[in-house]
Amino acid sequence: MLEIHNLHKSFSGTGVLSGMDFKVDKGEVVAIIGQSGSGKTTLLRCMSFLEKADIGEIIFDDYKGDMAHISQKDIKMLRMEMGFVFQSFNLFNNMTALENVMEGLVTARKMPKDKAKEKALEVLAKVGMLDRAYYYPGELSGGQQQRVAIARAIAPEPKVILFDEPTSALDPELTGEVLETMKKLALEGTTMVVVTHEMSFAKEVASRVVFMDGGVVVEQGTPQEIFGNPKEERTRQFLNRALHKL
Amino acid sequence: MSERLIGIITSSFFKILIPGIKVTIPLTLLSFALSLAVGLLLALIQVADIKGLRQVARFYIWVFRGTPLIVQLFIIFFGLPNIGITLDAFPSAVLAFGLNLGAYNAEVFRSAILAIPKGQLEAAYMIGLNYPQAMVRIILPQSFPVAFPNLFNNLISLLKDTALASSITVIDLFTTAQQIAARTYEPFALYLEAAFIYLIFSTGLTWLQRYLEQKLVWKSDKKR
Repeated sequence: MLEIHNLHKSFSGTGVLSGMDFKVDKGEVVAIIGQSGSGKTTLLRCMSFLEKADIGEIIFDDYKGDMAHISQKDIKMLRMEMGFVFQSFNLFNNMTALENVMEGLVTARKMPKDKAKEKALEVLAKVGMLDRAYYYPGELSGGQQQRVAIARAIAPEPKVILFDEPTSALDPELTGEVLETMKKLALEGTTMVVVTHEMSFAKEVASRVVFMDGGVVVEQGTPQEIFGNPKEERTRQFLNRALHKL
Repeated sequence: MSERLIGIITSSFFKILIPGIKVTIPLTLLSFALSLAVGLLLALIQVADIKGLRQVARFYIWVFRGTPLIVQLFIIFFGLPNIGITLDAFPSAVLAFGLNLGAYNAEVFRSAILAIPKGQLEAAYMIGLNYPQAMVRIILPQSFPVAFPNLFNNLISLLKDTALASSITVIDLFTTAQQIAARTYEPFALYLEAAFIYLIFSTGLTWLQRYLEQKLVWKSDKKR
């Protein structure tokens, strides 16, 4: 459904992604793991055009385009089919939880307000935040904010949702509620790409795990393959460190 | 204090206050409205980085911040008629004060827009908004409370700067005080009186600022 080919990205001369290929099929939950600086977040940000790729090709259903020379119009069209959940939530501070969820429906997709509200309340209920619909982001805990952010991302029913380390900014006791919400979405068949440090999530929820290092995919496979029997030495080293921390 | 002086002070108070209310305050508010429009426009041109226009905006700010306000007043009121544009004193003053303060407010707006975390714009993009929509719906509503104290600061400065309009024949609070002072030979008392009335006006604005600031704070900020 969504494919990236030969993606290159460097920041002021330092190569972060060097010829990366990536693909996600409908209904898949892909967990991307790897050390800090391995290019996981950059991959996600290039896929959503928050960073401009130096070289790269994107295929999204019937669309095919050059990521380095894509028009604003095409970017907007592709983003309409993507949801994005940020590490730092980025809820709109001037709006209530409900308004945050409605905004993309009403302003970007011209949905009538009453229908948008109905939809927004429905997804807020799904993430367990219905009772906080009229709260502002500053009145919510980090975990609650992230759940509203997830509601905001799923409300327009995008084809794929990208999660950029969704629990990394949370206190340990708040990660559970966010991971539970994501698990629920995964079980419903939502297509998800999740950059994460939560090995347990990758292990239990992902249908495929991608290990990245040095700007390329080192190894990928089912959670059983990656966690049970990693083929690459670098994967083994990483997992040893990541799992023993827990 | 002589009876004569007390008589001059009491009889002149309302004579000065009335042009203060009828001229100084409207001059301040109209100029300020113009400066907000100019400032916001210049700030948006700069943060949106519109090619070509950005340089125009920087040039504008460079000129209007770099030359004395009274010179700008004179150019507009006394100078423009030479090239066939004749404006009355009051609109000339509104134009000069508005254009001048616009250059300062541009920087206030620009810094307030830049103070909003980049993630807000990115999140707006990712729910499908384009740049203008993101500005209007997300960034500007959050920038305004940030800009507010500095804008109000400039408004209070403007109130006092409007006294310069007396130099281009606007009959405002200060001009009236000057006229009475010349007639009565009591400049000390009359200019103190004028200062006192300006002080009343600016105190009113300070109260208004405090009241509006409380109204403006987002609910989210209150609880933080």
